[in-house]
Amino acid sequence: MTILEIQHVNKTFGKRVVLNDISLQIESSSIIALVGANGAGKTTLINIILNLIPKDSGQVTFLTKNNWKQITGVMMQDNIALHRITIKEIINLTRSYFNHPLSYEELLSVSGLEDHQNSLMTGLSGGQKRRLTFALALAGDPKVLFLDEPTVGMDSNSRNAFWQEIDHLKKSGKTIFVTSHYLEELENIADRFLILQNSIIAFDGTIKQLRSREGQSLIEFDSELNQMDFKGLQDIVSLNVVGHHFQIITNDVNQLLAELTPYLKAIDNLQIKQATLDTLLLNYKENTHE
Amino acid sequence: MNKFIFQTKINFKRIVFRNKSFFFFDMLLPIVFYVLYTKILVTGIPASYLKVWNEDYLVSMMIYACMLGGIITTANTLLEDQMSNFKLFVTLSPLSNLQYYTSMAIVLVTLNLVSSIAITVVAIIVNHVTLSIGLLIALILVNLLGTTLLILIGVLISFVKKASTVNLLTNLIVFPLAIISGLWWPIKLMPTWLQSIGKLMPTYQLSVIDKNVLHQTPQHIGSFINLFIWFVIILAILLLASKIQKRKGIVTQ
Repeated sequence: MTILEIQHVNKTFGKRVVLNDISLQIESSSIIALVGANGAGKTTLINIILNLIPKDSGQVTFLTKNNWKQITGVMMQDNIALHRITIKEIINLTRSYFNHPLSYEELLSVSGLEDHQNSLMTGLSGGQKRRLTFALALAGDPKVLFLDEPTVGMDSNSRNAFWQEIDHLKKSGKTIFVTSHYLEELENIADRFLILQNSIIAFDGTIKQLRSREGQSLIEFDSELNQMDFKGLQDIVSLNVVGHHFQIITNDVNQLLAELTPYLKAIDNLQIKQATLDTLLLNYKENTHE
Repeated sequence: MNKFIFQTKINFKRIVFRNKSFFFFDMLLPIVFYVLYTKILVTGIPASYLKVWNEDYLVSMMIYACMLGGIITTANTLLEDQMSNFKLFVTLSPLSNLQYYTSMAIVLVTLNLVSSIAITVVAIIVNHVTLSIGLLIALILVNLLGTTLLILIGVLISFVKKASTVNLLTNLIVFPLAIISGLWWPIKLMPTWLQSIGKLMPTYQLSVIDKNVLHQTPQHIGSFINLFIWFVIILAILLLASKIQKRKGIVTQ
């Protein structure tokens, strides 16, 4: 069931086109990862969906009978840190905004701040504020959750707990729209990936589809040779070099290894991996620039 | 309605009860000025005029307190909400902008009410100013009306969204306005050209209305017209600024 429809949205800042004719349908009970380079327009798209900035043209429609704010939860990039207000007070204040809020205890548990209920918000660490901001986004028991760089500032334990909670929310039927620079985290959890590049949705599909299109395997090695020396290789989807470190994405790892045999004496630290979202995205960028 | 009551309750806690700067700036400062200018710096004022001076200065400091609360506290509180991302948080929540600003206005008007009562109590205790409850209520009601205009100025200033500019603007508006409106010392002591400007100011006209209430002398319609014109001008600028801000977007890219 479609819960959100974005039709032909355009946005420019001055002469710079940030979003060019973006159209999307967001289905319920899924996790949609919006990825792209810095400045690609991810936050702009979220801001337009949430009516925080005006679009030049196009339409954004939440397919709900209720006020869309009653069914959405938002965790923006910046935390809320209201002065002279305690954790308990901000949770209860946020609950009061919604018709069917989650219980205070549930939200406190999500925030992980059971021992700090009467502490002031401004006294929390960056990671604690982030967790509290997440709990507040859940206050109205939303159907759709927007998470913009949710794990920034969280330590690894908190990040793990956070993604477990997201998985739990997905299973309970929530639709989650997320952007993150920690691509390896998204890789394991998102159902659908949207790559925003050059102002358009350059890819819309699953990680499996992205791999089959952009290459399944990643071969990494170090070598004193230069990029031109490997130009004759046939089964390369992309070749990326940083210093003496080579990253090759291929669809046929066996064939490529056979092609690399003559170079083996000049190659160190050879590793074969499944292509990660990180490398696929980098590769995607490289391909488009070519 | 529940969310509005809750919001107002939280606003009282954070803006009034837990805010030491409120007690210092909005209440203590006008009280200190009142005591200073009616008990210490009174040389040269004839004893026969002292009673009227004490009463008139009470009115001046009540209006001054309203200026501090209405302009400085309003601008700073709204700015604080923007800087702490609370305004954005509210915008994304089902609480409407009208509920957010109305809740804030209730707190700020109450704050000015408390300040006015506190200064009056000091005037009664220190200078034995006699003021009937009816007159006090009338004075406070007039001041609350004036406070609405001052709060609008505070809201307008908060639109600049930069702490340094907000501080600069509030200082540039509040203190010169207090001086040329004759709130700190009588307007008659100023050059004629400055008096002419001062008399156009809403705070001067508010003090004229207050003094007429206090001395039970007839009101002049001109003062009310002046306040009304100021109200229309400020409201128009506010609506225009709000429209421009909406066009630009709530968040900056």
